[in-house]
Amino acid sequence: MTESSGTLIELSRLNKTFTLRNFFYKDEETGKRQFYRKRLVKAVQNINFTIDRGEIFGLLGPNGAGKTTTVKMLSGLVKPDEGMVSVDGLDVERHRQKVLRKVGVVLEGTRTSIWPLTPMENLAYYGNLKNVKGSVLSERSNRLLDFIGLQDKKHVEVRHLSRGQKQKLAICIALIGDPQVLLLDEPTTGLDVQSARAIKDKIIEMTREYGKSVLVTTHDMHVAQELCDRIGIIDKGQLVACKPTQELLGNFSDQVYVFQLDREPDIAALEQVPGVLTVTTELTSEGPTAVINLEPEPAARSRALYAVMEALSKGNYELRSIAQRQQNLESVFLQLTTSTM
Amino acid sequence: MSFLLVMKAEIVRTLIIMRRYWLRTIMGMIMGYGMLIVLILGFMLSQEELTNTMNDRFGDPEAATNFVLGFIIGMFAFGIVGMFTQGLQGMAVSGVLEQLCLSPHGLVTNFLARSTVAAITTCFSSSLMVWMVTMTVGGTLFFNGPALAMLLILTFINLLGFGFMMGGLILVFKQVGQVAILIRMGLFALAIFAKEELLEQGWAMATLVHALPIADAAILLKHVLIKNQRLVDGNYVPVYQHPSLFFLLLSCAVWTTLGITCFKMMENWSRAKGTLGTY
Repeated sequence: MTESSGTLIELSRLNKTFTLRNFFYKDEETGKRQFYRKRLVKAVQNINFTIDRGEIFGLLGPNGAGKTTTVKMLSGLVKPDEGMVSVDGLDVERHRQKVLRKVGVVLEGTRTSIWPLTPMENLAYYGNLKNVKGSVLSERSNRLLDFIGLQDKKHVEVRHLSRGQKQKLAICIALIGDPQVLLLDEPTTGLDVQSARAIKDKIIEMTREYGKSVLVTTHDMHVAQELCDRIGIIDKGQLVACKPTQELLGNFSDQVYVFQLDREPDIAALEQVPGVLTVTTELTSEGPTAVINLEPEPAARSRALYAVMEALSKGNYELRSIAQRQQNLESVFLQLTTSTM
Repeated sequence: MSFLLVMKAEIVRTLIIMRRYWLRTIMGMIMGYGMLIVLILGFMLSQEELTNTMNDRFGDPEAATNFVLGFIIGMFAFGIVGMFTQGLQGMAVSGVLEQLCLSPHGLVTNFLARSTVAAITTCFSSSLMVWMVTMTVGGTLFFNGPALAMLLILTFINLLGFGFMMGGLILVFKQVGQVAILIRMGLFALAIFAKEELLEQGWAMATLVHALPIADAAILLKHVLIKNQRLVDGNYVPVYQHPSLFFLLLSCAVWTTLGITCFKMMENWSRAKGTLGTY
């Protein structure tokens, strides 16, 4: 899959606080007006993670969680207050220009390209900006357009392309310098299902075939689940989880059990059972169910499971079936971020 | 090397856009020419209705040529500084600025190349316009190739430093478009009204003229193109011996150093604020 393994990107103890200044500020809650207000927003707090060569790493989080700030710190567009970001062993702050030769970035992709130019001309322009020249540039431009599926549009002005095609072109522009790392900020936002899928497939193909590492931020849980080898979930600037996708899903599916019952369960009573974290009820075609989230630690979870069954037996419930719930990334994401939202 | 690569990219981009939008390019030149000619002929043909001051200023072809040249130097200054102000804002809005910030050549090299290409294209169109307008109004321009080339390069460098300083302010404070337009208008006026006589109005005025960008450059360009390198008293003084040349060189050195240092500081500040490349 990759030429060599090992860490390519490292973010260590990364912190960033923005200062927001408002003149003639009006507090929406109290209606009070202030001539000047200064507010500190902790965008990123103590973020640590690494990305290996040839790995697709997903950074997920609600709006304003700090995903884009993290991507911008990785590409040197934002200067961290504390901590270090390194790409291929190079500190981004100290060797920014060298790092930029190794990194391709897509931020709001449809805005990246120069609209009066064609895709081919855009690639020639950005190729020169990224030190690619001559026959290499021409050959690489054609190969990238062919790979991404824009070969038939290579002489059409960008302003006539669809949003998905512009997004694809933005990826080509990011790849024209043959970077080792591709940073994609919300690459599928606003795209139709087909375009989103096409871009997702191309990212996977590119990683597997060319050994590129990819950091992708997205709101689309399905894309993240299918695309990413490893996922970091960021909330209010803090990394609340960082695990391989399957492990993340597995960890949570172990914890959630669905009890099919003969009648509505007493939530308050079940929540008193030691080891039970949350209880919700759902009405299915087969009757009411109790969806119970248990302690993650295996021994405690096992004890809690028996305690729940005992409680249901004492409450004279008819227990029709028990099943472990198969989690998807969306439910994991909600479980990890809801408590702090 | 970096500079040449970026410049090549810029030249290709500019030529493609000029070729693709040829009608817009030609219309721009025709409108510029028409605007100037109407302005000049308006002054020349309605001498009787105008005040004596206006008559003195525009009543003869040399004064008209002087005005046209000042106007076009002003346009040149307006364009170069505008590339750093309104141009930078436009790039931020379209998202292209973010990509320039991500270029391994650095923002300074990118802007240096962009402004050089803008200066070259402006020089071509301005020269054509100066020639056409001068022919129309019957003025005379004196062409001295080496002196003119040197002065145009120095004029560009002189504006570059100031442009970088303005660009730096835009990088950090973003919405300063109105202030930038006022400053550009000031440069425009300075190019029109800068003349050798101002340097004889006492040391304070002379210091002010030397300190401001474009003033010495405009004086020297008029000295070569209109006055055929002769002073007010009629004595022939080659541009290389003109006292303003020393001040122009000094102004270039000071403004360029100040401008690029300021731009880099502002770029760093903007990165710390997290607003680099955005608008």
